[in-house]
Amino acid sequence: MNPALPLAALGLIDAAFSGFRAFAGRDARIRKARAVARAASRGLAVGAALLLVPVLTALGVLLSVDDQTRTYAALSAGGTAFLLPLTLYAATVALSLTAYFVLPFRASTLAMVMGLGPLTLIRPLVVALACLNALADGGWTALLVGTVAGAAVLCVEPLVHRRWYAALPLPDLLGRARPA
Amino acid sequence: MPHLEISDLITVTDPAGGTRLPVGRAAVVRRLVESGDLRGARIVAALPVDPGGVLDPVAVDRLMVGVHTELQRLSEELRIGERLAHVLGPLFTAIRASGHAGPLRLVDVGCGLGYLVRWLAATGALGPDVELVGVDLDAALVDEADRLARDEGLACRFVHGNAFDLPEAATVFVSTGVLHHFRGPALAEFFRAQAASPALAFCHYDIAATRLAPIGAWIFHRARMRHPLGRHDGVVSALRAHDDATLMRAAAVPGIRPLLYEPRGLANPFCTTLRPVLGVRPQLEEPLRLALGRASRRLVGPERLTGTAR
Repeated sequence: MNPALPLAALGLIDAAFSGFRAFAGRDARIRKARAVARAASRGLAVGAALLLVPVLTALGVLLSVDDQTRTYAALSAGGTAFLLPLTLYAATVALSLTAYFVLPFRASTLAMVMGLGPLTLIRPLVVALACLNALADGGWTALLVGTVAGAAVLCVEPLVHRRWYAALPLPDLLGRARPA
Repeated sequence: MPHLEISDLITVTDPAGGTRLPVGRAAVVRRLVESGDLRGARIVAALPVDPGGVLDPVAVDRLMVGVHTELQRLSEELRIGERLAHVLGPLFTAIRASGHAGPLRLVDVGCGLGYLVRWLAATGALGPDVELVGVDLDAALVDEADRLARDEGLACRFVHGNAFDLPEAATVFVSTGVLHHFRGPALAEFFRAQAASPALAFCHYDIAATRLAPIGAWIFHRARMRHPLGRHDGVVSALRAHDDATLMRAAAVPGIRPLLYEPRGLANPFCTTLRPVLGVRPQLEEPLRLALGRASRRLVGPERLTGTAR
C-alpha cells in the first residue's frame, strides 16, 4: 500500500485543526463561526505548504540513491508504519469529537476531559512514536522523511498563531484592533 | 501554605469605591516566595513596572483581558453556558410559577468578560423576560465585556462596581469560578449579603473539589492556555476550590435554603467539573424541584450531604 495519500489527508486535516487551535482563545465573541472557519483554512493553507517539505525530502532521497526501487520500498514501509499510530490517534480524536458534539453536556464534558484535552497535549508524543515506527519498518531514510513530516505538522499551529493571532485581541487596550 | 492566585494579587480594587489601587511588584513577589510559589513569583517578576516599582496598570489590564479571553475557551469547550442554563432555566420557571411580580433580573457577580451573560443573551436560554446584568470590580474586564456585547448586539449590560450595590435589585445572583476567591469568613459574608438583599435565589458555580481537579486543571490549562499566568492560576484555582461541606455551611444563612446540585458522590467527577451551590427562599424549593423534574434527585440539602463531603 502506498501511504502517501492517507498521510497527506491526515496531515491536511490536522493542519485545519491546528489553524483552529492557533485562533482559539483569541476572540471572546460568542458567535464566531466565520472566524473559526477562516482560522481552519489558514491552517490548511500553511499545512499544505509545509507538507511539501517532506514530499520534497522524499523525492530528494529517491533521486540521490542508486537503488531507487529498494529505497522506495523502504519509504513505503516506513510511511505505512508512520501512519499506524497517527491513524489510531486520529480515530480517537474523531470518536471524542463525535461524542463531544452529539452527546449532552455532561457526557461531552467527559469527552473533553478524557479525550480532547489530553489528546492535544500528546500530539508531539504521537508524532515521535510514528517516527520510531517508521525507523523500525523503513530504516533511516524513512525516519528522515517522517521526522521532517512530523516537524511540519507540529509547526502549523505556532506559525498560524504567530502570523495572524499573536497580537490579538485586547481591542480597547490595543487601539481597537479587531479580530481578523 | 496558602495557595495564591496571581490575578488576585496584581489587580487590587477598593471594594467600596471601585478605585484601582497601585500594586508594588516587589511586595507581590515577596508574598509568592513566602508562600513557596517560586514559579508564580517568577511570572510576576517579569511584569512591567514604573520607576517606583508599581505594576504598570495598562500592562496588567492587557494581561488580564488576554488571560480571560483564553479562559473563555475553557468555558466554551466545557459547555458551561448549557450547564448553567440547565439549572437556571428551572430556577426562573420556579420563580415565575411562584407568582413573582416585577422584572426578573439575573446578576452575574464577578462576571469577568461576561461570557455567561453574553451566552445567555445570545441563546435566549432563560427567555426574553429575564434582564441580564454582569458586574465586576475590574474596570478593564467590564469595558471589554461591554464592547463584546455591543459588537454582537446582545441584549445584556455590564456594570463596574459592587454587585450588591446596584440601584436595581437582582432576582437571582449567579457566578462562575468566583467562590474559591472568598476565604474564611468572607465566604459566609458573601452569602449573607445576598440573603440580606431582595434576591429570591443565588446559584454559584465553582470547581468541584475533587482529587482529580488539580490534575485536570493542569492538563487543560497546559493544553489550552498560552500565558503562564493563566496556567498558574488555573491550577491554583482547583487547589483552592471549596469542598461541598464548606460551601453548604457557608451558604446556610438566615432566610435561605442552601442546596447543592450534583455534589460529590452523586456526580461523576469526569462529567462534572463545576457544580453549583444554590440558595433559594424556602418557598421556592418545591417549585424548583418540580421544574427540575427527574434532575431534582441531584439537588440535595445539608441533611443529605453527610457522608458525601470530602
